[in-house]
Amino acid sequence: MAKVTITVNGEARTVSVPPETTLLKLLREHLNLTGAKLGCDVGDCGACTVIVNGKSVNSCLMLASQVDGFDVLTIEGLATTDQLHPLQTAFEEKGSLQCGFCGPGVIMSAKALLDEEPDPSVERIRDALAGNLCRCTGYSKMIEAVQAVANSVNSHPSVKSA
Amino acid sequence: MKRRGRGIACMWYPIGFTASANPSAAVVKVNEDGTATLLTGTVETGQGSLTVLAQIAAQALGIATDDVHVVSADTDTTPMDTGAIASRTTYVTGNAVMLAAENAKKILFEVAAPLLGVEPAHLEAKDHKIQVKGFPQRNMHIGDVAEHARGVKGTPPIGSATFNPAVLKLDPETGQGKPFATYVYATQIAEVDVDDETGEVEVLRIVASHDCGAPINPMLVEGQVEGGISMGVGFALQEEMLFDSSGRLINPNLTNYIMPTSLDMPSVEVDIVDSYDETGPFGAKGVGEPTCVSTAAAILNAIHNAVGVRVTSLPATAEKVFAAIQAKRAQEAKLVTAG
Ligand code: FES
Ligand code: FES
Repeated sequence: MAKVTITVNGEARTVSVPPETTLLKLLREHLNLTGAKLGCDVGDCGACTVIVNGKSVNSCLMLASQVDGFDVLTIEGLATTDQLHPLQTAFEEKGSLQCGFCGPGVIMSAKALLDEEPDPSVERIRDALAGNLCRCTGYSKMIEAVQAVANSVNSHPSVKSA
Repeated sequence: MKRRGRGIACMWYPIGFTASANPSAAVVKVNEDGTATLLTGTVETGQGSLTVLAQIAAQALGIATDDVHVVSADTDTTPMDTGAIASRTTYVTGNAVMLAAENAKKILFEVAAPLLGVEPAHLEAKDHKIQVKGFPQRNMHIGDVAEHARGVKGTPPIGSATFNPAVLKLDPETGQGKPFATYVYATQIAEVDVDDETGEVEVLRIVASHDCGAPINPMLVEGQVEGGISMGVGFALQEEMLFDSSGRLINPNLTNYIMPTSLDMPSVEVDIVDSYDETGPFGAKGVGEPTCVSTAAAILNAIHNAVGVRVTSLPATAEKVFAAIQAKRAQEAKLVTAG
């Protein structure tokens, strides 16, 4: 067993897991954070995307022990009980998701992009979402939602995409 | 060098098959707080059908969409549905919901009429009220009418209905007839760049004009069209299930079965045609499957317009397009030498 200590959504957690456990499995099965989805388990679909130390990663491609001591943010860490994250609000208002399976991954990829680059071009948004497959939407309304959040953050510098 | 081309494709698509029974049923219950509960057997898979059905019930009852609580897809409590298939939900299930809501409303009108001193035919349901047409100040809150209907009159406002597009057998001799209740139409135009040295095709832009009857929810219609186009782009250029000689699927994964990503999607402009179908709920028809019918044809026509070759097997991969360009060049060279 490998002992892993990580900060998940701001909370320190220590778990003992078999050494072959992926970060995705650690989140879903040991920490009961089922927002990140298991789509392919080999890095093709992006449904498992989470943010590790500020970078979006496919959590199915990382071993739990590789993130020992790291900071992990999952979709569960974005909203508070009374407030959605601006990206979540924009996705809801624009009807950016349909079945929603790709959603947690797409939103985490978008968040990682906006954290690094608050005013991305459409090309940069397309680039940042390229690893997140969506069968339903054609991506158009997701791209619009990310643009809308970027614009609102820029016109009100006090609203940070927390 | 990159060559630009444009292609167009049109389609029609049938809504509400009539060759066999195709029923949907619904129950609408108006509650004493002015909300309503809708029971439907249909399944939401993200297309937004439950939102659309709630909008239809709300429109019929004069209340807000948020006031309609939808219970769906549980045959312990809801009617069995023919299915979230065949682009039929808005049209067939929507009609059932509208009729069920009308039946519940009829009870409300009968109860409210004597209280407001008019005939039921002079009433309308609007802004959470049952009111006299032309005299909106003479009204009762819909919840109060529901309470009176149940508690005083003993006729709780519950409506149920079935909609089944009339079954019409096709002529067994000729196969002719009217196999569907209604039809939708669309035109899509694709703009592409084709690299004539590699055969690679980039779809730059698609303009899609769709008739779906009166759109109950334009944003959801757009979402359906955009999603359908992404499937059409994959169908045209990327997606292919490959089998080995023993019939085994050799690309049952997303590494080798290639579908469009955000980088493959063109910019999409959606135009919803102004239309109204008298047989649909509030004029609506349907929009699901029809959205991906024209896309591949428009793209392949655009390839022809760009480089003058017809690719007749899908997907039109770079290899196939390049082979077609080479064949055309060889053909032209032959004609020159022969001439
Ligand atoms: S589950 Fe990780 S990329 Fe598909
Ligand atoms: S919304 Fe269904 S896969 Fe993206």
